[in-house]
Amino acid sequence: MAEEVRTQTAGNMWKVLVKAGDKVKAGDVLFIMEVMKMEVPHEAPIDGTVKAVSVEEGQEGLDADTVAVEIE
Amino acid sequence: MLEVIEPGLETSVQDWPGRLGYWNQGFPPSGPMDSWSFRLANLLVGNEPGAAGLEAQYIGPSLKFERDGVIAVTGADMQAKLDGAPIPMWESVAVKAGQTLQMAFAKTGARGYIAIAGGIDTEPWLGSRSTFHKAGVGGMEGQALKKGQVVPVAGANGKAGRKVIDKARTPIPTDKQWEIEVVAGPNDDWIDEAGHKRFLGSDWKLSSKSDRTGFRLDGPDWTFTKKATNKAPEHGSEPSNIIDQGYPCGAINLAGQTPIILVNDGPSMGGFVNPYTVPRAAFWKLGQSKPGDIYRFKAVSVEEAQAMAHKLRELCSEASIAK
Amino acid sequence: MIYEEPKYLTGGDRYMLIEFGDEMNLELNFMGQSLAQAVEENSVKGVIETAPCFASTLIHYEPEEIKFADLKSEMRSLIETLGPSEDIELDSRLFYFPAVYLDPWTKEAVDDYCAKITEKEWDPEFIARLNGLDGVEQFVRVHSGTEYWVASLGFWPGLPFMMALDPRCMLTAPKYNPPRTWTPEGTVGMGGASTCIYPVATPGGYQIFGRTPVPIWDTQQRFPQFEESICLFKPGDRVKFVPCGLDEYEQVAAQVADGSYQYNLVGYQRFSVKNYKAWVESLDTASRF
Repeated sequence: MAEEVRTQTAGNMWKVLVKAGDKVKAGDVLFIMEVMKMEVPHEAPIDGTVKAVSVEEGQEGLDADTVAVEIE
Repeated sequence: MLEVIEPGLETSVQDWPGRLGYWNQGFPPSGPMDSWSFRLANLLVGNEPGAAGLEAQYIGPSLKFERDGVIAVTGADMQAKLDGAPIPMWESVAVKAGQTLQMAFAKTGARGYIAIAGGIDTEPWLGSRSTFHKAGVGGMEGQALKKGQVVPVAGANGKAGRKVIDKARTPIPTDKQWEIEVVAGPNDDWIDEAGHKRFLGSDWKLSSKSDRTGFRLDGPDWTFTKKATNKAPEHGSEPSNIIDQGYPCGAINLAGQTPIILVNDGPSMGGFVNPYTVPRAAFWKLGQSKPGDIYRFKAVSVEEAQAMAHKLRELCSEASIAK
Repeated sequence: MIYEEPKYLTGGDRYMLIEFGDEMNLELNFMGQSLAQAVEENSVKGVIETAPCFASTLIHYEPEEIKFADLKSEMRSLIETLGPSEDIELDSRLFYFPAVYLDPWTKEAVDDYCAKITEKEWDPEFIARLNGLDGVEQFVRVHSGTEYWVASLGFWPGLPFMMALDPRCMLTAPKYNPPRTWTPEGTVGMGGASTCIYPVATPGGYQIFGRTPVPIWDTQQRFPQFEESICLFKPGDRVKFVPCGLDEYEQVAAQVADGSYQYNLVGYQRFSVKNYKAWVESLDTASRF
């Protein structure tokens, strides 16, 4: 079962740091959102391999609670 | 009395109507962006409508209560829970010493408000407890809340179970579309007829490069009258440049070709024209909108805008509370 | 020009902007400031606060207490009672501020803007070219060759809006399009014909070309000049920029950091509008340094 990493806030996708196939450890920053000129880093909750990335760097106006990365 | 377990994205102490009387030294009013939700939260817990409370933005805080009290949560739905159990919004709720209020991301809207019976009791600065964190003034040591801080609260008795009636709750749209009232001026005569039509007839997208100092809008270009080009050189040669002037709070400031709505922590003065101004009663809409939301502007007269403010003042009263 | 009749412009549901003219003229600033003073002295009902600037005064009023039309009548009456600015004389402090012109920090901010936002000519070269000067050295001589009059505070707490008192040193330049997202603290900048000092690192639209290590804003109120306010300036102050090198900048910055810096402040002068006007008449305003 893949673990879903969702956006914690509405905002822009400032940086996407992983792609499908990357190995990650719990705590690694997967992507960073931007809202109110503040950076909101999102970390991997578990060790694993990135199964899918459904957001793009530069994507604007994302909603909170949107699935961004899946880890297996 | 309130221990900050998690600060949220940017949570700060605000009061209403904020810091007044210092516009001529560059101090903005600050205060809550959505004063509609803010005032009602205070009334629910038995406070004066302007008592100091918390404004949470996008991601709400987690706060532990050091003594019994009464709170109310209004504005954006940040999924408030007390010790893991959901609590209703727009209603006063009893809390006990040792309990924790947890708020998460805003499901609707952008800014949530937390009032507590007695009001937040930080040291006022220049007459107000409102925070202007970019200048380090007011609130908790001039900053947004930090993990581990204890926010002081004045003692008082509130009553649980008071509810705001449905029609007095902010109608936050779910389709990301907003109609925002604007009054023409002060510098509306700098924009030509086509420019006015274009502004009022277009969709304007709220940029995520927006915060309490200014709301940046993405949309079409502005076009100008001769006033903007036949002017003394000391204005600055770009059409939107004017000799520096005081800015109304709520002005749509045209920085070059970029309109920026000046909001609660915004600049008081500067050298760009303000063709339109958002009246105070429409600020709650700005406060509850998110990046990517679409604004459509509707021109209203000064009198209509003042009537809106009057209506809102009547709404933010005991008349809106069902016991 | 100075308008025959001031213009009373609407600002949303609770602001009035009173425009006295559309040029950079000390007389217009005096009108704006005098009106603000008169409003306070007369405790005009419904007025919350005022913000005068170069040629205008912004009034913030409470619409529950007074309507726009009535406020306009009140302001009209008050303006009529203001005497001619010819006769104005006031105490005016003069500050000498060391400043590095053509400094590396503002250059870095401009380079950053070019890389991330849009290309532009380096600000001092841009200003020199637009104003028909020989080059950046002449720009420094001309800009630093005059006292600057603090017309008002605004944009950011403590930020002074200033105008050149010597007409031979008046320069103009457009503001940035779009504005910068940051400016180094202590930057000296210019927009239109207004000069300012940025009290902290904020976004901004002025052309930038110098930096001063002297604080104009201090929430800690560490120096005696901040005893009454965390803002150094008040309208009616004057500033003279004294070009200095990086060494002196660092020296002053160190004194500021350890609290030993002494403000270079001349506190005994009175500014006379009559004398100022007579002096301006005597100048050959077609010349530059």
